[in-house]
Amino acid sequence: MDQRHTWMAWLCGAVLLGCATGTFEDDAAFSADGSGNNGGNNNGSLGGNQSTGGTGGATDGSTDGSTSAPVGLGAEVFERCSTGTELPGPRLLRLLTREEYQHTIADLLYLAEPDVSGLPLEAQVEGYNNNALSQAVTSRHVDEYISLADTLAQQAVDQSIGQLVRCDISSADCQQDFVTSFGLRAFRRPLSAEEQQRYVALFAGDLTEGNTTEGVKLVIQAMLISPNFLYRSEVGTNQGDGTFRLSAYELASALSYLYWGTMPDDVLFSAAANGTLSTPEELRAQAERLMADAKAQDQLFSFSLQWLGTQTIQSSFKDPDYFPNFTDGVREAMLEEQRQLFIQAVLTDNGDFGSLFDPGYTYVDQNLANYYQVQAPGQGSGFVSTDGTPRGGILGLGAVYASHAHSNESSPIKRGLFIRSRLLCQELPDPPANLDTTPPGLDPTLTTRARFAQHTADAACSSCHQFIDDLGFGMEGFDGAGFFRTVENGLNVDTSGKLKGLENLYGDATEYNFADHQELSNLVQESQSARDCFVIQYYRFGRGYAEQESDACSLTALRTSFSASNYTVKDLLLSLPQLYSFSVRAE
Amino acid sequence: MAFIHTRRHFLKSAGACAALTPLVNLLQTNRAKAAAPKRAMFVYVPDGCIPDSWHPTGSETNFTLSPMTQPLESVKQHLIFLDGLTMYSGGATHEGGMAKVLTGVSPQSIDIYLGDQIGASSPFRSLQLGVGATFQDGAGSMSYIGEGQPVAPDDDPTNVFARVFGGVSGNSSDGSLDVSQLRKKSILDTALSDIQALQSQLGTSERQKLENHLQSVREVEQRLSGASAVACDISGYDDRGFQVIETDYYPLTYHKEENFRVVGEMMMDQAALALSCGVTNVVSLQWSHAVSPTHLVDTGVTTANHDASHYGDANSQNAADFITLKQWFMDRFAYLINRLASTPDEGGTLLDNTVVMLCSELGDSNLHDHARVPFLLAGSAGGAFQTGRLLDFRGTNGGENEPHTKLLVSIAQALDVNIDSFGYSGHGTGPLPGL
Repeated sequence: MDQRHTWMAWLCGAVLLGCATGTFEDDAAFSADGSGNNGGNNNGSLGGNQSTGGTGGATDGSTDGSTSAPVGLGAEVFERCSTGTELPGPRLLRLLTREEYQHTIADLLYLAEPDVSGLPLEAQVEGYNNNALSQAVTSRHVDEYISLADTLAQQAVDQSIGQLVRCDISSADCQQDFVTSFGLRAFRRPLSAEEQQRYVALFAGDLTEGNTTEGVKLVIQAMLISPNFLYRSEVGTNQGDGTFRLSAYELASALSYLYWGTMPDDVLFSAAANGTLSTPEELRAQAERLMADAKAQDQLFSFSLQWLGTQTIQSSFKDPDYFPNFTDGVREAMLEEQRQLFIQAVLTDNGDFGSLFDPGYTYVDQNLANYYQVQAPGQGSGFVSTDGTPRGGILGLGAVYASHAHSNESSPIKRGLFIRSRLLCQELPDPPANLDTTPPGLDPTLTTRARFAQHTADAACSSCHQFIDDLGFGMEGFDGAGFFRTVENGLNVDTSGKLKGLENLYGDATEYNFADHQELSNLVQESQSARDCFVIQYYRFGRGYAEQESDACSLTALRTSFSASNYTVKDLLLSLPQLYSFSVRAE
Repeated sequence: MAFIHTRRHFLKSAGACAALTPLVNLLQTNRAKAAAPKRAMFVYVPDGCIPDSWHPTGSETNFTLSPMTQPLESVKQHLIFLDGLTMYSGGATHEGGMAKVLTGVSPQSIDIYLGDQIGASSPFRSLQLGVGATFQDGAGSMSYIGEGQPVAPDDDPTNVFARVFGGVSGNSSDGSLDVSQLRKKSILDTALSDIQALQSQLGTSERQKLENHLQSVREVEQRLSGASAVACDISGYDDRGFQVIETDYYPLTYHKEENFRVVGEMMMDQAALALSCGVTNVVSLQWSHAVSPTHLVDTGVTTANHDASHYGDANSQNAADFITLKQWFMDRFAYLINRLASTPDEGGTLLDNTVVMLCSELGDSNLHDHARVPFLLAGSAGGAFQTGRLLDFRGTNGGENEPHTKLLVSIAQALDVNIDSFGYSGHGTGPLPGL
């Protein structure tokens, strides 16, 4: 990581110092995914064992201490696998995200759409909100967990008692049974004898005052604030050789949260109990079963939102003076369009990576069809052909363009960085300090491209921006709200450009010309670097941390299997649990 | 929708109850006996400044405010302006600045650290409040609990009120617990036992993760048991009729630009109340976030804060707009200072016993640098600082600027937390000389 940044800073930073007019649209560089947590200077390894000295004590002034969880190595990671042998993964406790918490509660307590909106926002690393190393439980989390446990346990007792308790709860045997059966589902593993005793004790008379249903509520409440519920355990059991193998129950959770974003179902629990969840074949069979279930759709969508950084359109402000037609309905339809693209291409059609970019169809409702000026479905929502239109595929999604834009205009630089960072896993360095990075102001007599082109014509600035701006210009056919345009401010929009450094930012001298975003899309989807990046992105999402040197051979194995499947996306997703490092961990 | 956005109900009702039931201190604290406790606040405003339009000119005691800080004229006797502080090391640009402004590139931020040091017996070791700080998922936090572990500020003023001022009850008169307290205690005890059992199975890093978790549970336990209860009269709190509207989504009610001002006032009022009551001794308040997309609708400026911060040259329209926007933030800061200065406290006013540090993540917003960052202090922290001054540290550290980490040390020492360095020490240790 350090080496990568130093190297790139040298390559394109050294000459930037002379750039006086200012070119860098910093908010894009600051955080292409809006996370604010993806840059940095962390020289630590996984596991947080890098110490920068005690707080309040002296730290070495010469080192870059960091307050970011480790960012990923990016495309370079594949060069770091020298032995060809996978290393164990890290032992982790993975705090449930808000989304996982909500889905888990819904399944555990049989409650529809439990309200969890008060839970604190997750930290994001490389665009993902499930980074196990960056999530810390503050007292605000604890307050919220306690409040939620009270509310949700009461709702469960009021609404789902019949499903939760199947015997006469006033009897001691039934209380034991309830703690055993509910505890298994809440902790996603059988309770230890001590735990069983600890929770049964909540049925004590001085607590229930004779109302044993109150004991049910107390057990639920107590379990919902236990770390055994709040964290997914990927800690494993000591094998005596320095490695830790995940238990069958840990594997059951690892699979269900990977593919469903929620707790295991009865089939997974049974497999764990029966000892039929350990071989690669058994893991594969369960993975295929989970992937075939409707719950996999939400989870795939969640991955796509974080990969593409499109979740921001759920909450971002768009200036109605500029984008009066960008209604709430359009936002929601754009997200549904993205969701349906991934479900159709990956799950239904079992398509390859390219089909995410060039499917030939998209999913619209009447509203979005009108906004896109494409053929409308007969009624309601549905798939329509995108032949002869600028739509279809990832670089046709309104959500991509509206997310990677400003509140009042498009953003060639954000969009260029989107392709580099999210699609190619190529990270550009921050602009050097002391560089005037003032972007051009709005000008109703020029196109956006012309304004930015003036500012990046400077030879010094273009040393970095040659990799960014042209890609953004290629996407200028879409305004800041994803509306297609051929004319801006009365001037024709020029979407042609050159793509450099496709397979290696600094090592690939080939230049590709493209006429518009669709030709650009074709170049990206057919590149090895985009396929490799997709492997990395799914790994980040699936594993809960950004790839480090120790992951190099695991990623290489995934990449090999992706290639062997002719880049079938579902196959890649199903391959993750096949990795040695999925089941075997180390400190 | 992968994540279902629905509004909660229970906390608002908790807040309503709390407003009618001021917290009662049944376990007498030792607060009255001791000298006035010292408090600290850390206030962030986004996107740096135009240094020559921010920093005052003149001598230490006879200086003239610049345009950006003009609204502070009426409170400048309470302030110490600090020119020439640089945030060294760490990352660059907005992001790097955000990550180090309170950490000085150490793993933990000064607000969390001080909260742990001086707030162990307080109901809240520290509070992290935001005004649109997580709008559009935010862009980083200035508070860190540990390496790579930011603390997201709470932007919902009704939620903050319910959490901080609602729902604490003392023991009954004979000291026994009623059944609802007994239940709370039982489930917390169970959670604590589970944490300890789990900790024994873990390696170093995950054990540390659970140790943080354990400390958080202990703080809550102490609060719920009444052990840290303090007297707090909240009857004067004005909620300004603000209500979260369930259907607000793009964006949420407390993230709407038209509510920026009122939410800010609610947060500042609550911060003052919390510090005054001893609910906590440390509060952070983050206005918006780095690369702020926020428009300050009552200024008449139509440019978003970050866009204006790229002012080009000092005579541009953006520069004029950025000054206007900064003046708005400084007018709000003056509101906070006045609020603290008008709150009685042991030996004087709350401001007398507090130090407020104002900060940002950049120095010059055009350059994205970390020199001449707009730091200033307000309040004397119980006489530790002499206010009404301008201090200029440009070039005073062997020809270079002093590091801002010395300011963090000065603040800690003012609160009787005797450390000699905090994070980066490449330009020396100890407090800021002459402060």
